[in-house]
Amino acid sequence: MRLQKKLGTVATLALLAAMFAVPARGQVRNSGASPIALQAVLTQSISVTLSGNAVNFNLVAGSANNPGSTSITATTTWTLKPSVASLKLYAFFSTSTAALTDGAGNNIPSADFQISTNAGAFTALTNTVPFGGANAGLQLSSTPILGNNKIGTRNDVMNFNINLTALPSLAASGYTGTLTIQAQAI
Amino acid sequence: MNTARLSRVAVVVLAMTFAVSMASAQLNSGAQTIALNANLTESLTLSLSASAVNFTLAAGSASNVGSTTITATTAWTLKPGRTAVGVYAYFGSAAAALTDGVGDNIPSSAFFISDNGGASTALTNTVAFGGANAGYQMANVAITGLNKASSRADVMAFNINLTGGTLPQLPANTYTGTLNIQAQATP
Repeated sequence: MRLQKKLGTVATLALLAAMFAVPARGQVRNSGASPIALQAVLTQSISVTLSGNAVNFNLVAGSANNPGSTSITATTTWTLKPSVASLKLYAFFSTSTAALTDGAGNNIPSADFQISTNAGAFTALTNTVPFGGANAGLQLSSTPILGNNKIGTRNDVMNFNINLTALPSLAASGYTGTLTIQAQAI
Repeated sequence: MNTARLSRVAVVVLAMTFAVSMASAQLNSGAQTIALNANLTESLTLSLSASAVNFTLAAGSASNVGSTTITATTAWTLKPGRTAVGVYAYFGSAAAALTDGVGDNIPSSAFFISDNGGASTALTNTVAFGGANAGYQMANVAITGLNKASSRADVMAFNINLTGGTLPQLPANTYTGTLNIQAQATP
């Protein structure tokens, strides 16, 4: 009877020891959380490339029709923020009075230089645009930026003409000038 | 009062903030250039409304009028630096403006042109073209900044005067010759 009681006590102690020993081995110890800040920036970009960089004209005095030797395609490529509403492409000269000049005081103004964009009507460069001189520019195109074209590209084929009907007394000479093409997102 | 002022200030600040925000939202591409070369070639042309004139001559007569007038139209597109355009009539030889081919000649001094209703003038000057003393400058147009590309018309009426020298004794025959009209831009 006494032995049985002693054995019962021992068994109880062993059980308790086992019960406490198992939880001690399974307990997880965590360190503190160390955060890593992540930032990914997709930079906005707009680029314009041209299929050519020179146009020649054989002028006929007083003629309305003096087409350029070649058309030029402006390819505009963009990656824009969601807040951008539109993308516009412009052609412009630095001055309206002397788009082309012979350097001897004889000039062809921007009002007599015309561009047809994507086979549209020929239009003179007489507007004030974000770039270039006053009254020396033309907006070639405007692309609304929506959810599905924040990254995109477009082509604008430009044909050129010099209209000399307003310049019947233009001197025979070689005239040179620089037409600039530039895009703006806003 | 203070509330109204504060409201106004707030509106202004808001507007400025919006403007700055809009400005900073603008993005430009690089500028791409196209070199333009346009050439207006220099030119000077002269055309005639007709190319033949007949005369029915009366021996010793001062007035042997040509069968028709002829208009010379001169058109030009000139380089800077040109100062004048001259229009000339001339023969190859002063002695034989017209000839019958057998030694009988009508000299250029007996051949007259009236240009645009002006006085009838013999071809006795040495001009830019033709023989010595066989020409006449019909027109001289000063070139300025306003007429580097332009045109003019000269209406020519012709006469042969058979009163001078031995011409009253000119034998009956058919006389032929070539009158040239030519323009020159100078310098």
